[in-house]
Amino acid sequence: MANNTNTSRKAILVTPELCIGCRACQVACKSWNQLSAIKTKNNGTYQNPPDLASAAYNMIQYSEVPSDQNAVRWLFLSRRCMHCEDAGCMTICPSPGALYRTDDGAVAFDRDKCIGCKLCVNACPFDVPRYDAEDKVTKCHLCFDRIGAGMEPACTKTCPTGALKFGDRDELVGAAKQEGFGTIYGEKDLGGLGSIYAFKEEPKLYGMKENPEIPSSVVFWHTYLKPLSLIGLGGVVGAAAIHYLAIGPHKDQEEEV
Amino acid sequence: MAEMVRKSSVDEVLNHWILAGSCILLVITGFAFLFHMESVGGVFGGFDTMKSVHNWAGVVFSVSLLYSMRHYLADALHYDADDRQWFKVAGGYLSHKVKVPPMGKYNPGQKLYYLIILLAGIAIALSGFAIWFMKDNGSIMLLAHLVHNVAFVVFVVVVPVHIYLGTLANPGTFGIMVTGTMPLETAKKRHPKWIS
Ligand code: HEM
Ligand code: SF4
Ligand code: SF4
Ligand code: SF4
Repeated sequence: MANNTNTSRKAILVTPELCIGCRACQVACKSWNQLSAIKTKNNGTYQNPPDLASAAYNMIQYSEVPSDQNAVRWLFLSRRCMHCEDAGCMTICPSPGALYRTDDGAVAFDRDKCIGCKLCVNACPFDVPRYDAEDKVTKCHLCFDRIGAGMEPACTKTCPTGALKFGDRDELVGAAKQEGFGTIYGEKDLGGLGSIYAFKEEPKLYGMKENPEIPSSVVFWHTYLKPLSLIGLGGVVGAAAIHYLAIGPHKDQEEEV
Repeated sequence: MAEMVRKSSVDEVLNHWILAGSCILLVITGFAFLFHMESVGGVFGGFDTMKSVHNWAGVVFSVSLLYSMRHYLADALHYDADDRQWFKVAGGYLSHKVKVPPMGKYNPGQKLYYLIILLAGIAIALSGFAIWFMKDNGSIMLLAHLVHNVAFVVFVVVVPVHIYLGTLANPGTFGIMVTGTMPLETAKKRHPKWIS
Protein backbone atom coordinates (compact mmCIF):
# COMPACT_ATOMS: atom_id res chain seq x y z
CA MET A 1 0.00 0.00 0.00
CA ALA A 2 3.07 2.20 0.11
CA ASN A 3 2.27 5.45 -1.60
CA ASN A 4 5.83 6.13 -2.56
CA THR A 5 9.36 4.95 -2.16
CA ASN A 6 12.12 7.41 -2.56
CA THR A 7 15.66 7.59 -1.50
CA SER A 8 15.83 11.33 -0.90
CA ARG A 9 13.22 11.12 1.80
CA LYS A 10 13.42 13.92 4.34
CA ALA A 11 12.37 13.61 7.96
CA ILE A 12 12.13 15.37 11.30
CA LEU A 13 13.93 13.64 14.13
CA VAL A 14 12.37 14.44 17.49
CA THR A 15 14.48 13.82 20.58
CA PRO A 16 12.03 14.44 23.42
CA GLU A 17 14.81 14.20 26.02
CA LEU A 18 16.32 17.44 24.69
CA CYS A 19 13.05 19.35 24.64
CA ILE A 20 12.63 22.08 27.24
CA GLY A 21 9.01 22.79 26.45
CA CYS A 22 9.62 26.35 25.29
CA ARG A 23 7.07 25.99 22.49
CA ALA A 24 9.03 28.16 20.11
CA CYS A 25 8.22 25.46 17.52
CA GLN A 26 4.50 26.06 17.94
CA VAL A 27 4.94 29.77 17.45
CA ALA A 28 7.26 29.37 14.44
CA CYS A 29 4.77 27.06 12.79
CA LYS A 30 1.91 29.49 13.29
CA SER A 31 4.00 32.34 12.03
CA TRP A 32 5.12 30.63 8.82
CA ASN A 33 1.71 29.18 8.05
CA GLN A 34 -0.17 32.30 9.12
CA LEU A 35 -2.33 30.42 11.59
CA SER A 36 -4.38 32.42 14.01
CA ALA A 37 -4.16 32.21 17.77
CA ILE A 38 -6.63 29.92 19.52
CA LYS A 39 -8.48 30.91 22.65
CA THR A 40 -7.98 28.09 25.13
CA LYS A 41 -8.91 27.48 28.74
CA ASN A 42 -6.59 26.55 31.55
CA ASN A 43 -7.41 22.96 32.21
CA GLY A 44 -4.86 22.26 34.90
CA THR A 45 -1.81 21.73 32.74
CA TYR A 46 0.76 23.88 31.00
CA GLN A 47 -0.05 22.11 27.77
CA ASN A 48 -1.46 24.66 25.40
CA PRO A 49 -3.22 24.21 23.00
CA PRO A 50 -4.94 21.18 24.47
CA ASP A 51 -4.87 19.33 21.14
CA LEU A 52 -3.89 19.67 17.50
CA ALA A 53 -6.25 22.03 15.69
CA SER A 54 -6.82 23.62 12.32
CA ALA A 55 -4.69 26.52 13.58
CA ALA A 56 -2.19 24.28 15.42
CA TYR A 57 -0.28 21.97 13.10
CA ASN A 58 2.15 21.01 15.84
CA MET A 59 2.07 21.08 19.61
CA ILE A 60 4.03 20.01 22.64
CA GLN A 61 2.22 17.39 24.64
CA TYR A 62 3.03 17.65 28.35
CA SER A 63 2.84 14.56 30.53
CA GLU A 64 3.62 14.47 34.22
CA VAL A 65 5.27 11.13 34.86
CA PRO A 66 7.09 11.03 38.24
CA SER A 67 9.96 8.55 38.48
CA ASP A 68 11.88 7.10 41.45
CA GLN A 69 14.63 9.72 41.30
CA ASN A 70 12.41 12.52 40.24
CA ALA A 71 9.17 13.33 42.02
CA VAL A 72 8.37 16.11 39.60
CA ARG A 73 9.04 15.01 36.07
CA TRP A 74 7.63 16.52 32.94
CA LEU A 75 7.85 14.85 29.59
CA PHE A 76 7.57 16.95 26.45
CA LEU A 77 6.56 15.43 23.16
CA SER A 78 6.30 17.23 19.87
CA ARG A 79 3.15 16.04 18.09
CA ARG A 80 2.41 16.61 14.44
CA CYS A 81 1.66 14.66 11.26
CA MET A 82 3.95 11.64 11.01
CA HIS A 83 4.21 11.74 7.20
CA CYS A 84 3.73 7.99 7.12
CA GLU A 85 5.13 6.09 4.15
CA ASP A 86 1.98 4.01 4.33
CA ALA A 87 -0.39 6.90 4.92
CA GLY A 88 -3.93 5.92 5.91
CA CYS A 89 -5.16 9.40 5.13
CA MET A 90 -3.99 9.19 1.52
CA THR A 91 -5.26 5.66 1.11
CA ILE A 92 -8.84 6.49 2.06
CA CYS A 93 -9.16 9.96 0.53
CA PRO A 94 -11.66 9.86 -2.37
CA SER A 95 -10.49 13.12 -3.92
CA PRO A 96 -7.31 12.91 -6.01
CA GLY A 97 -4.71 15.49 -5.08
CA ALA A 98 -6.38 16.57 -1.84
CA LEU A 99 -3.61 14.76 0.01
CA TYR A 100 -0.43 14.16 -1.93
CA ARG A 101 3.16 13.04 -1.52
CA THR A 102 5.90 15.55 -2.24
CA ASP A 103 9.26 14.60 -3.73
CA ASP A 104 10.76 14.96 -0.27
CA GLY A 105 8.36 12.39 1.13
CA ALA A 106 6.02 14.78 2.95
CA VAL A 107 2.26 14.26 2.97
CA ALA A 108 0.92 17.64 1.94
CA PHE A 109 -2.63 18.82 1.27
CA ASP A 110 -4.41 21.00 -1.25
CA ARG A 111 -7.45 22.48 0.40
CA ASP A 112 -9.01 23.41 -2.95
CA LYS A 113 -9.21 19.74 -3.83
CA CYS A 114 -10.50 18.56 -0.45
CA ILE A 115 -14.19 17.69 -0.55
CA GLY A 116 -14.50 17.81 3.24
CA CYS A 117 -15.68 14.23 3.70
CA LYS A 118 -13.50 13.73 6.80
CA LEU A 119 -12.69 10.16 5.91
CA CYS A 120 -8.97 10.84 6.35
CA VAL A 121 -9.22 11.64 10.04
CA ASN A 122 -10.69 8.22 10.68
CA ALA A 123 -8.02 6.40 8.70
CA CYS A 124 -5.12 8.21 10.39
CA PRO A 125 -3.52 6.08 13.10
CA PHE A 126 -2.32 9.22 14.90
CA ASP A 127 -5.48 11.34 14.97
CA VAL A 128 -3.80 14.12 13.02
CA PRO A 129 -5.98 15.73 10.33
CA ARG A 130 -8.14 18.64 11.45
CA TYR A 131 -10.72 20.73 9.60
CA ASP A 132 -10.92 24.45 9.24
CA ALA A 133 -14.07 26.54 9.41
CA GLU A 134 -14.93 25.58 5.84
CA ASP A 135 -14.52 21.88 6.53
CA LYS A 136 -11.30 21.56 4.58
CA VAL A 137 -8.41 19.41 5.74
CA THR A 138 -5.44 20.99 7.52
CA LYS A 139 -2.36 19.50 9.14
CA CYS A 140 1.42 19.70 9.29
CA HIS A 141 2.83 19.48 5.75
CA LEU A 142 6.50 19.31 6.74
CA CYS A 143 6.85 22.87 5.45
CA PHE A 144 7.08 21.37 1.97
CA ASP A 145 7.16 24.89 0.56
CA ARG A 146 10.22 25.79 2.61
CA ILE A 147 11.98 22.47 1.95
CA GLY A 148 11.29 22.84 -1.74
CA ALA A 149 13.13 26.17 -1.63
CA GLY A 150 16.11 24.67 0.18
CA MET A 151 15.14 25.79 3.67
CA GLU A 152 14.28 23.68 6.66
CA PRO A 153 10.86 23.58 8.34
CA ALA A 154 9.95 26.53 10.56
CA CYS A 155 9.81 24.43 13.73
CA THR A 156 13.20 22.74 13.36
CA LYS A 157 14.81 26.02 12.34
CA THR A 158 13.55 27.61 15.54
CA CYS A 159 14.20 24.85 18.05
CA PRO A 160 17.03 26.07 20.34
CA THR A 161 18.04 22.69 21.79
CA GLY A 162 18.22 20.26 18.90
CA ALA A 163 15.10 18.45 20.08
CA LEU A 164 13.83 18.90 16.53
CA LYS A 165 16.22 18.13 13.69
CA PHE A 166 15.54 18.10 10.00
CA GLY A 167 17.48 16.19 7.36
CA ASP A 168 17.78 13.10 5.21
CA ARG A 169 15.79 10.40 6.87
CA ASP A 170 18.45 7.70 6.59
CA GLU A 171 21.12 9.99 7.99
CA LEU A 172 18.94 11.05 10.93
CA VAL A 173 18.16 7.44 11.82
CA GLY A 174 21.85 6.50 11.58
CA ALA A 175 22.96 9.43 13.70
CA ALA A 176 20.40 8.75 16.43
CA LYS A 177 21.47 5.12 16.62
CA GLN A 178 25.11 6.15 16.93
CA GLU A 179 24.21 8.41 19.81
CA GLY A 180 22.93 5.32 21.55
CA PHE A 181 19.17 5.68 21.26
CA GLY A 182 17.78 2.19 21.41
CA THR A 183 14.32 2.87 20.09
CA ILE A 184 13.79 4.95 16.98
CA TYR A 185 10.03 5.22 16.97
CA GLY A 186 8.75 5.20 13.43
CA GLU A 187 11.82 3.63 11.85
CA LYS A 188 9.75 0.71 10.55
CA ASP A 189 6.15 1.48 11.57
CA LEU A 190 3.73 1.98 8.68
CA GLY A 191 6.51 1.56 6.16
CA GLY A 192 8.57 4.13 8.04
CA LEU A 193 7.43 7.48 9.38
CA GLY A 194 8.65 10.88 8.28
CA SER A 195 8.51 12.14 11.87
CA ILE A 196 10.78 9.84 13.82
CA TYR A 197 11.41 9.88 17.55
CA ALA A 198 14.59 8.97 19.44
CA PHE A 199 13.64 7.57 22.83
CA LYS A 200 15.72 6.15 25.64
CA GLU A 201 12.60 5.13 27.49
CA GLU A 202 9.43 3.38 26.48
CA PRO A 203 7.60 5.47 23.83
CA LYS A 204 4.43 4.57 25.72
CA LEU A 205 5.61 6.69 28.63
CA TYR A 206 5.34 9.75 26.40
CA GLY A 207 1.89 8.77 25.24
CA MET A 208 3.01 7.33 21.91
CA LYS A 209 0.84 4.67 20.34
CA GLU A 210 2.57 1.30 20.61
CA ASN A 211 1.79 -0.41 17.33
CA PRO A 212 0.31 2.23 15.07
CA GLU A 213 -1.82 0.69 12.34
CA ILE A 214 -4.26 1.81 9.70
CA PRO A 215 -7.74 0.62 10.82
CA SER A 216 -8.27 -2.95 9.60
CA SER A 217 -11.53 -2.07 7.83
CA VAL A 218 -9.65 0.47 5.72
CA VAL A 219 -6.93 -2.04 4.87
CA PHE A 220 -9.58 -4.64 3.97
CA TRP A 221 -11.41 -2.12 1.82
CA HIS A 222 -8.24 -1.08 0.04
CA THR A 223 -6.81 -4.55 -0.58
CA TYR A 224 -10.01 -6.50 -1.33
CA LEU A 225 -13.16 -4.43 -1.84
CA LYS A 226 -11.73 -1.91 -4.26
CA PRO A 227 -10.31 -4.50 -6.67
CA LEU A 228 -13.37 -6.68 -6.15
CA SER A 229 -15.68 -3.96 -7.42
CA LEU A 230 -13.77 -3.84 -10.71
CA ILE A 231 -13.31 -7.60 -11.00
CA GLY A 232 -16.98 -8.13 -10.14
CA LEU A 233 -18.21 -5.68 -12.75
CA GLY A 234 -15.81 -6.97 -15.41
CA GLY A 235 -16.66 -10.56 -14.52
CA VAL A 236 -20.42 -10.23 -14.98
CA VAL A 237 -20.09 -8.21 -18.17
CA GLY A 238 -17.78 -10.91 -19.52
CA ALA A 239 -20.10 -13.69 -18.35
CA ALA A 240 -23.06 -11.98 -20.02
CA ALA A 241 -21.15 -11.72 -23.29
CA ILE A 242 -20.17 -15.38 -23.14
CA HIS A 243 -23.75 -16.36 -22.30
CA TYR A 244 -25.07 -14.40 -25.22
CA LEU A 245 -22.64 -16.02 -27.64
CA ALA A 246 -22.63 -19.56 -26.27
CA ILE A 247 -26.25 -20.04 -25.23
CA GLY A 248 -28.05 -17.13 -26.73
CA PRO A 249 -31.12 -15.16 -25.79
CA HIS A 250 -34.37 -16.59 -24.51
CA LYS A 251 -36.68 -18.16 -27.08
CA ASP A 252 -40.36 -18.38 -26.29
CA GLN A 253 -41.38 -22.01 -26.24
CA GLU A 254 -43.85 -22.87 -28.94
CA GLU A 255 -47.34 -23.77 -27.90
CA GLU A 256 -46.99 -27.36 -26.73
CA VAL A 257 -49.33 -30.20 -26.11
CA MET B 1 -51.01 -4.12 -34.40
CA ALA B 2 -50.76 -6.91 -31.90
CA GLU B 3 -53.01 -6.74 -28.88
CA MET B 4 -51.10 -5.36 -25.87
CA VAL B 5 -51.54 -5.91 -22.14
CA ARG B 6 -50.40 -3.47 -19.50
CA LYS B 7 -47.70 -5.02 -17.31
CA SER B 8 -46.39 -1.91 -15.56
CA SER B 9 -48.26 1.20 -14.54
CA VAL B 10 -47.04 4.57 -15.70
CA ASP B 11 -45.76 5.50 -12.26
CA GLU B 12 -43.88 2.20 -12.04
CA VAL B 13 -42.12 2.85 -15.34
CA LEU B 14 -41.32 6.43 -14.31
CA ASN B 15 -40.01 5.40 -10.92
CA HIS B 16 -37.96 2.64 -12.50
CA TRP B 17 -36.11 5.19 -14.64
CA ILE B 18 -35.56 7.50 -11.71
CA LEU B 19 -34.15 4.59 -9.73
CA ALA B 20 -32.04 3.34 -12.62
CA GLY B 21 -30.78 6.78 -13.60
CA SER B 22 -29.80 7.79 -10.09
CA CYS B 23 -28.22 4.40 -9.49
CA ILE B 24 -26.07 4.56 -12.61
CA LEU B 25 -25.02 8.11 -11.76
CA LEU B 26 -24.10 6.93 -8.26
CA VAL B 27 -22.14 3.97 -9.58
CA ILE B 28 -20.19 6.14 -12.03
CA THR B 29 -19.37 8.82 -9.47
CA GLY B 30 -18.69 6.11 -6.89
CA PHE B 31 -16.14 4.48 -9.17
CA ALA B 32 -14.60 7.89 -9.78
CA PHE B 33 -14.10 8.34 -6.01
CA LEU B 34 -12.71 4.85 -5.59
CA PHE B 35 -10.21 5.02 -8.40
CA HIS B 36 -9.51 8.76 -8.48
CA MET B 37 -10.80 9.09 -12.03
CA GLU B 38 -9.98 12.71 -12.71
CA SER B 39 -11.58 12.65 -16.16
CA VAL B 40 -14.93 11.69 -14.63
CA GLY B 41 -14.48 14.36 -11.96
CA GLY B 42 -13.79 16.84 -14.74
CA VAL B 43 -17.18 16.15 -16.30
CA PHE B 44 -18.76 17.48 -13.11
CA GLY B 45 -16.34 20.37 -12.86
CA GLY B 46 -14.28 18.84 -10.06
CA PHE B 47 -14.62 16.39 -7.22
CA ASP B 48 -16.26 18.87 -4.89
CA THR B 49 -19.25 19.28 -7.21
CA MET B 50 -19.20 15.59 -8.02
CA LYS B 51 -19.54 14.90 -4.32
CA SER B 52 -22.69 17.05 -4.18
CA VAL B 53 -24.03 15.32 -7.27
CA HIS B 54 -23.33 11.94 -5.68
CA ASN B 55 -24.92 12.89 -2.39
CA TRP B 56 -28.08 14.36 -3.93
CA ALA B 57 -28.40 11.52 -6.42
CA GLY B 58 -28.27 9.41 -3.27
CA VAL B 59 -31.29 11.23 -1.91
CA VAL B 60 -33.22 10.68 -5.16
CA PHE B 61 -32.15 7.04 -5.21
CA SER B 62 -33.25 6.48 -1.60
CA VAL B 63 -36.71 7.99 -2.12
CA SER B 64 -37.18 6.12 -5.37
CA LEU B 65 -36.08 2.85 -3.76
CA LEU B 66 -38.60 3.22 -0.94
CA TYR B 67 -41.34 4.08 -3.43
CA SER B 68 -40.51 0.99 -5.51
CA MET B 69 -41.62 -1.22 -2.62
CA ARG B 70 -45.20 -0.42 -3.66
CA HIS B 71 -44.63 -2.05 -7.00
CA TYR B 72 -42.54 -5.08 -6.24
CA LEU B 73 -42.31 -5.99 -2.57
CA ALA B 74 -45.49 -8.03 -2.26
CA ASP B 75 -44.63 -10.11 -5.34
CA ALA B 76 -41.01 -10.47 -4.25
CA LEU B 77 -41.97 -12.07 -0.97
CA HIS B 78 -44.13 -14.77 -2.47
CA TYR B 79 -42.71 -18.02 -3.88
CA ASP B 80 -44.49 -21.22 -4.98
CA ALA B 81 -43.60 -24.74 -6.18
CA ASP B 82 -43.10 -23.59 -9.78
CA ASP B 83 -40.60 -21.06 -8.49
CA ARG B 84 -38.59 -23.82 -6.82
CA GLN B 85 -38.65 -25.80 -10.06
CA TRP B 86 -37.54 -22.64 -11.90
CA PHE B 87 -34.34 -22.55 -9.85
CA LYS B 88 -33.68 -26.25 -10.62
CA VAL B 89 -33.68 -25.52 -14.36
CA ALA B 90 -31.86 -22.19 -13.84
CA GLY B 91 -34.76 -20.40 -15.43
CA GLY B 92 -33.94 -22.04 -18.76
CA TYR B 93 -31.02 -19.67 -19.16
CA LEU B 94 -28.35 -22.37 -19.29
CA SER B 95 -30.07 -24.51 -21.91
CA HIS B 96 -32.97 -23.94 -24.23
CA LYS B 97 -33.90 -27.63 -24.03
CA VAL B 98 -35.14 -27.77 -20.45
CA LYS B 99 -38.79 -27.26 -19.64
CA VAL B 100 -39.32 -24.05 -17.69
CA PRO B 101 -42.33 -24.14 -15.34
CA PRO B 102 -45.12 -21.62 -15.95
CA MET B 103 -44.42 -18.24 -14.39
CA GLY B 104 -46.54 -15.50 -12.87
CA LYS B 105 -45.85 -11.81 -13.32
CA TYR B 106 -42.25 -12.15 -12.15
CA ASN B 107 -39.94 -15.12 -12.09
CA PRO B 108 -38.19 -15.95 -8.78
CA GLY B 109 -34.88 -14.66 -10.14
CA GLN B 110 -36.45 -11.24 -10.59
CA LYS B 111 -38.09 -11.43 -7.18
CA LEU B 112 -34.81 -12.30 -5.49
CA TYR B 113 -33.08 -9.58 -7.46
CA TYR B 114 -35.55 -7.07 -6.07
CA LEU B 115 -34.94 -8.20 -2.51
CA ILE B 116 -31.16 -7.94 -3.00
CA ILE B 117 -31.49 -4.43 -4.45
CA LEU B 118 -33.81 -3.41 -1.64
CA LEU B 119 -31.52 -4.69 1.11
CA ALA B 120 -28.24 -3.58 -0.46
CA GLY B 121 -29.95 -0.30 -1.37
CA ILE B 122 -31.04 0.35 2.19
CA ALA B 123 -27.52 -0.52 3.38
CA ILE B 124 -25.81 1.73 0.83
CA ALA B 125 -28.26 4.57 1.49
CA LEU B 126 -28.01 4.44 5.29
CA SER B 127 -24.23 4.18 5.18
CA GLY B 128 -24.10 6.96 2.61
CA PHE B 129 -26.10 9.26 4.84
CA ALA B 130 -23.86 8.31 7.76
CA ILE B 131 -20.71 9.25 5.80
CA TRP B 132 -22.41 12.47 4.81
CA PHE B 133 -23.78 13.58 8.14
CA MET B 134 -21.99 11.72 10.93
CA LYS B 135 -18.47 12.83 10.10
CA ASP B 136 -17.48 13.35 13.69
CA ASN B 137 -18.20 9.85 14.91
CA GLY B 138 -15.12 7.81 14.07
CA SER B 139 -16.48 4.31 14.57
CA ILE B 140 -19.71 5.02 12.69
CA MET B 141 -17.71 6.55 9.84
CA LEU B 142 -15.43 3.53 9.50
CA LEU B 143 -18.36 1.11 9.70
CA ALA B 144 -20.38 3.14 7.20
CA HIS B 145 -17.41 3.34 4.84
CA LEU B 146 -17.10 -0.45 4.93
CA VAL B 147 -20.84 -1.10 4.52
CA HIS B 148 -21.08 1.46 1.70
CA ASN B 149 -18.37 -0.32 -0.21
CA VAL B 150 -19.56 -3.89 0.46
CA ALA B 151 -23.01 -2.87 -0.82
CA PHE B 152 -21.31 -1.20 -3.77
CA VAL B 153 -19.70 -4.51 -4.77
CA VAL B 154 -23.16 -6.14 -4.60
CA PHE B 155 -24.58 -3.41 -6.85
CA VAL B 156 -21.91 -3.57 -9.53
CA VAL B 157 -22.38 -7.34 -9.75
CA VAL B 158 -26.17 -7.67 -9.75
CA VAL B 159 -27.19 -4.54 -11.67
CA PRO B 160 -25.39 -5.49 -14.91
CA VAL B 161 -26.96 -8.96 -14.74
CA HIS B 162 -30.37 -7.30 -14.46
CA ILE B 163 -29.62 -5.00 -17.40
CA TYR B 164 -28.47 -7.92 -19.55
CA LEU B 165 -31.52 -10.03 -18.71
CA GLY B 166 -33.83 -7.10 -19.32
CA THR B 167 -32.39 -6.32 -22.75
CA LEU B 168 -30.26 -8.67 -24.86
CA ALA B 169 -31.08 -11.91 -23.07
CA ASN B 170 -34.86 -11.50 -23.30
CA PRO B 171 -35.74 -9.69 -26.51
CA GLY B 172 -38.83 -7.57 -26.13
CA THR B 173 -38.56 -7.13 -22.35
CA PHE B 174 -37.05 -3.67 -22.63
CA GLY B 175 -40.22 -2.44 -24.30
CA ILE B 176 -42.10 -2.97 -21.05
CA MET B 177 -39.96 -0.31 -19.42
CA VAL B 178 -40.79 2.08 -22.24
CA THR B 179 -44.52 1.63 -22.81
CA GLY B 180 -45.47 -0.34 -19.72
CA THR B 181 -47.11 -2.89 -21.96
CA MET B 182 -46.25 -6.10 -23.79
CA PRO B 183 -47.96 -8.13 -26.56
CA LEU B 184 -50.68 -10.38 -25.17
CA GLU B 185 -49.32 -13.33 -27.15
CA THR B 186 -45.86 -13.04 -25.57
CA ALA B 187 -47.40 -12.56 -22.15
CA LYS B 188 -49.35 -15.79 -22.54
CA LYS B 189 -46.11 -17.66 -23.19
CA ARG B 190 -43.90 -15.96 -20.62
CA HIS B 191 -46.36 -15.21 -17.81
CA PRO B 192 -49.20 -17.77 -18.17
CA LYS B 193 -50.11 -17.67 -14.48
CA TRP B 194 -50.30 -13.89 -14.49
CA ILE B 195 -52.39 -13.65 -17.64
CA SER B 196 -55.00 -16.20 -16.59
C1 HEM C 1 -26.58 2.87 -5.71
C2 HEM C 1 -26.26 3.65 -4.75
C3 HEM C 1 -24.85 4.12 -4.41
C4 HEM C 1 -23.66 3.74 -4.92
C5 HEM C 1 -23.42 2.73 -6.00
C6 HEM C 1 -22.61 4.47 -4.20
C7 HEM C 1 -21.25 4.32 -4.40
C8 HEM C 1 -20.27 5.01 -3.71
C9 HEM C 1 -18.87 4.77 -3.82
C10 HEM C 1 -18.23 3.67 -4.61
C11 HEM C 1 -18.23 5.70 -3.06
C12 HEM C 1 -16.73 5.88 -2.88
C13 HEM C 1 -16.37 5.12 -1.66
C14 HEM C 1 -15.22 5.62 -0.96
O1 HEM C 1 -14.34 6.27 -1.50
O2 HEM C 1 -15.24 5.32 0.20
C15 HEM C 1 -19.21 6.49 -2.42
C16 HEM C 1 -18.96 7.49 -1.53
C17 HEM C 1 -19.94 8.17 -0.85
N1 HEM C 1 -21.30 7.99 -0.96
FE1 HEM C 1 -22.23 6.67 -2.13
N2 HEM C 1 -23.21 5.30 -3.30
C18 HEM C 1 -24.57 5.11 -3.39
C19 HEM C 1 -25.54 5.72 -2.66
C20 HEM C 1 -25.29 6.71 -1.75
C21 HEM C 1 -26.30 7.33 -0.98
C22 HEM C 1 -27.77 6.95 -1.00
C23 HEM C 1 -25.66 8.28 -0.25
C24 HEM C 1 -26.25 9.25 0.73
C25 HEM C 1 -27.14 10.10 0.46
C26 HEM C 1 -24.25 8.24 -0.54
C27 HEM C 1 -23.28 9.02 0.03
C28 HEM C 1 -21.93 8.88 -0.13
C29 HEM C 1 -20.93 9.65 0.53
C30 HEM C 1 -21.21 10.76 1.52
C31 HEM C 1 -19.68 9.20 0.09
C32 HEM C 1 -18.29 9.69 0.54
C33 HEM C 1 -17.66 10.54 -0.47
C34 HEM C 1 -18.46 11.75 -0.66
O3 HEM C 1 -18.64 12.53 0.28
O4 HEM C 1 -18.94 11.91 -1.76
N3 HEM C 1 -24.05 7.27 -1.46
N4 HEM C 1 -20.46 6.06 -2.84
S1 SF4 D 1 0.07 10.79 10.52
FE1 SF4 D 1 -2.02 10.65 9.80
S2 SF4 D 1 -2.28 12.48 8.58
FE2 SF4 D 1 -0.07 12.20 8.82
S3 SF4 D 1 0.56 10.99 7.02
FE3 SF4 D 1 0.13 9.54 8.67
S4 SF4 D 1 -2.01 8.98 8.30
FE4 SF4 D 1 -1.67 10.86 7.17
S1 SF4 E 1 -11.58 15.42 4.13
FE1 SF4 E 1 -10.47 16.11 2.30
S2 SF4 E 1 -8.38 15.37 2.56
FE2 SF4 E 1 -9.68 14.23 4.02
S3 SF4 E 1 -10.27 12.34 2.95
FE3 SF4 E 1 -11.90 13.83 2.56
S4 SF4 E 1 -11.30 14.85 0.65
FE4 SF4 E 1 -9.47 13.79 1.39
S1 SF4 F 1 11.26 24.54 20.02
FE1 SF4 F 1 12.41 22.65 20.50
S2 SF4 F 1 12.77 22.79 22.68
FE2 SF4 F 1 11.21 24.31 22.26
S3 SF4 F 1 9.29 23.16 22.59
FE3 SF4 F 1 9.73 22.95 20.44
S4 SF4 F 1 10.84 21.04 20.32
FE4 SF4 F 1 10.89 21.64 22.45
